[in-house]
Amino acid sequence: MDTSGTTTVDPGASAVETIRRDSAAGRLTLLSSLLEAAPADSPRAPDPLREIEESGAEDLKRMDGRVEAYFFSELAMTRSYAAYLFRLAEKDLVGLVVETVREDSRVYPRPTPLDFFRASPFGLSPEQVEDILSRIRERGDCGDIRESRASNGARYLYSTRYLTVAHADALTEWNEVGQAENP
Amino acid sequence: MAQTFGWTGKILRVDLTNGKVSIDDTMKYKDFIGGEGIGYKILWDEVPAGTHPYDPENKLIFGAGPLCGSGVPCSGRTTIVSLLPTSSHHGAGSSHMGGYFSVEMKYAGWDAIVLEGKAPKPVWIRIEDDKVKIEDARWLWGKGIFDTMAMIDSQMGKEAQVAAIGPAGENQLNMAVIRTGTSHSAGGHGGILGAKNVKAVAVKGTGSVKVAADRSKLMELDKYMMSIIGANNQMVVPSSPQPWAEFSDKGSRWTGRPGLYWGAANPPVETGTCDPHDMQSVGFRTMKAVFDLGAGAEKYTVRMGGCAHCPIRCHSQLKVPQLEKYGMDPFVSNTCVGWSGPRGVMYNGIKEFDGNGEDSSIVGNAIGTTMVDDLGVWCNYGQIGRDVKYLYTKGIFKKVLPAEEYASIPWDKLEKGDATFLIDFYDRVAHKKGEIWHIADGSAWFAQRWGLGDEYWDYKDNKLWTRGGYPVHHSNEAGAQVGALISCLTNRDSQNHSHMNFIGSKLPIAIQKEIAGEIFGSPDALDAPMDYTKMNEYKARFIKYAVVRGRLHDSLTLCNWMWPMAVSPLKERKYRGDTSLESQFFSAVTGVAKTEAELDKDAERVVTLLRALTVRSMGTVDMRNTHDAMNKWIYTPDKKDGKEIAQFTKGTIQMEKSDLDLGLGMVYKQFGWDEKTGAPTKAALEAVGLKDVAEELGAKGLLPA
Ligand code: SF4
Repeated sequence: MDTSGTTTVDPGASAVETIRRDSAAGRLTLLSSLLEAAPADSPRAPDPLREIEESGAEDLKRMDGRVEAYFFSELAMTRSYAAYLFRLAEKDLVGLVVETVREDSRVYPRPTPLDFFRASPFGLSPEQVEDILSRIRERGDCGDIRESRASNGARYLYSTRYLTVAHADALTEWNEVGQAENP
Repeated sequence: MAQTFGWTGKILRVDLTNGKVSIDDTMKYKDFIGGEGIGYKILWDEVPAGTHPYDPENKLIFGAGPLCGSGVPCSGRTTIVSLLPTSSHHGAGSSHMGGYFSVEMKYAGWDAIVLEGKAPKPVWIRIEDDKVKIEDARWLWGKGIFDTMAMIDSQMGKEAQVAAIGPAGENQLNMAVIRTGTSHSAGGHGGILGAKNVKAVAVKGTGSVKVAADRSKLMELDKYMMSIIGANNQMVVPSSPQPWAEFSDKGSRWTGRPGLYWGAANPPVETGTCDPHDMQSVGFRTMKAVFDLGAGAEKYTVRMGGCAHCPIRCHSQLKVPQLEKYGMDPFVSNTCVGWSGPRGVMYNGIKEFDGNGEDSSIVGNAIGTTMVDDLGVWCNYGQIGRDVKYLYTKGIFKKVLPAEEYASIPWDKLEKGDATFLIDFYDRVAHKKGEIWHIADGSAWFAQRWGLGDEYWDYKDNKLWTRGGYPVHHSNEAGAQVGALISCLTNRDSQNHSHMNFIGSKLPIAIQKEIAGEIFGSPDALDAPMDYTKMNEYKARFIKYAVVRGRLHDSLTLCNWMWPMAVSPLKERKYRGDTSLESQFFSAVTGVAKTEAELDKDAERVVTLLRALTVRSMGTVDMRNTHDAMNKWIYTPDKKDGKEIAQFTKGTIQMEKSDLDLGLGMVYKQFGWDEKTGAPTKAALEAVGLKDVAEELGAKGLLPA
């Protein structure tokens, strides 16, 4: 699956169709690519933003980045998945890790395995993950992010805002080792 | 005989002592639903207290329920009922196998097969519709299960479904299985077939199961259920992020994803996106090979297999060419404890051995599973591995085995993680060689034989639940008091997934708690993982629901590794499932309209009957202090840095004795049993229509005061 966020826009397709098709393929649609694909003299889609608005399509959602805007269709992509892709596209890797860890600790609750970021749709290398970890340690606003380790050596992250050290340690061991021993 | 729907209406009885075959009317047992319920009723009526499991007076029942063979999803299970040789008091219990046996049995016209007495010489039973023959098994006796099945198939044809024992069963090993298909084992009852001199039961049917409702109604229900179904164990979120999924969890059995293949298929098959709205991809969701055996299993996976009428397919079917080196078939299949149980003996793990390199673990797993599936040895839900570790590392084997025998065992292989140890080990065990095989008497019996006392039972890593001789099975470690107290109510590991199919759904805790509130009356029925709270009324209701549904599924017969479906993968349903599905299917298939509550009441009858059987076989009403008494490790606080960690603090799963005692009383009350002793009262028995049982217990002085 191409999750790079790079759209291959068919000039004949409407913006709405393009966004839905991209979401079904697991990628965000960039506003810039919609604009590129909409030549001024096109009778069908002179202004993709207006087209989206006028379509009344409630499934279409917009996320604004630093310079780019991104669209996805909730018919084919959830907000949580779109948020992952958004942070990847914005190259906000520290934010990606920190917010994912906090959300996991709050919602499930559970610590987040480091290898989660190695797999799709993130595909980060071990070096990238280590680099992110050291940047997290350096930042003043990420003091709640801690590391735990299972007896098989697997590394996890959690947020002390939502999990105590003992709770996180126990969940790490359970998720990594205990569950497999109790199939 | 009146037309029946769902049930075939007939039970086959085979008296092995005199070779007499007779037919019984299923409908006289209809209040007990089918499968397990019918089995317990037959044991109650016909097998006197004090009977040894291997006595000819014991009976063994292969049971199917009214939904089996009807096409209801996940309805291909067989429930086998008999006394349990591993149980410290030889209590009644069920063992379960999937595959196609029970469905074929129904097609042949039988709801159950009851084996009685003892054949004078080894036999196998050939059933072709209503033709039943007791055949000479002299050529089969001594053979492994694979050869046995092949030899029977060569006579009856491949479409015959065979349930057979291996040498372990023939030798009346307490921990022996009855196996069908490539990988479906019912643990604990193999020795009883051996004691009856029955090598196998093979069945071929040309009939069908009649359904009362219009076929479109059943199709509609099927479709509805297929929208609610998740992956194996009703896990409803994928194990990795997917565009369609709000949630994901690494521990989910919903492992199918783009880029993951059945790698040994020709050509390889991608499991793919598995959007929950796409019914056609349900069978790709549970890529169990990588879940059970790790990422390295992908390239060995030919496909996923499973039981009749099941869209989930939780059995991995692999081709492991390295097995040929050991004289074994390269095709191997299993699921869950079918892999982890046999390999568990390698307590130090499986390391690189025999030039198998990085695939040593897969090869070792495949060796273990092939050995036990051929010899027919049971692992007692993984207990055999923990026992080997304890007995070896604590020096007990050295003490109790004759020196010559001890010296002949390749312990170095065990220590080095060389899985060929399993070949030697299971051969000794199945063939009852030397002294070591007594490990397969089961914990309750070898503890006596080898003089193991409190230290053995109370040792935490042994995970033994009660002195009945069985271990944890989704107990406190996963379900707080709910799992813990469920584990007290059976004569073997609880084999109950009704609670785990909800607790383990992998949904966020807030959603799960909302659903718990809707089903059990309060979100407090459910604790967050490892953040346990004290026992309460709602947990007791949850326990009753789980126990009742467990018996219901084993009676209907539905797969309790999928049912009940309290949750679903659908956001638009707010992840709600539908716990009334069983009763909807029951009503449609049998034509006997039952609400969810009414069907649960029928299953409660089965739960209560099992309890009465236990009271009768133990000869005491004091269940609380005997049968239900949990081993100390369960409620002994953990320690960190020399200090005790108090129960009910985040991160500890240790229970508290007074809280468990309170909980037992609350659970007894849910069933109307005596809160002091845990035995069914006269009123409770009569409330579920067991007046005759109450009378017999009363006459024996086994009703609580
Ligand atoms: S989920 Fe697995 S065990 Fe249950 S019926 Fe399906 S294949 Fe058989």
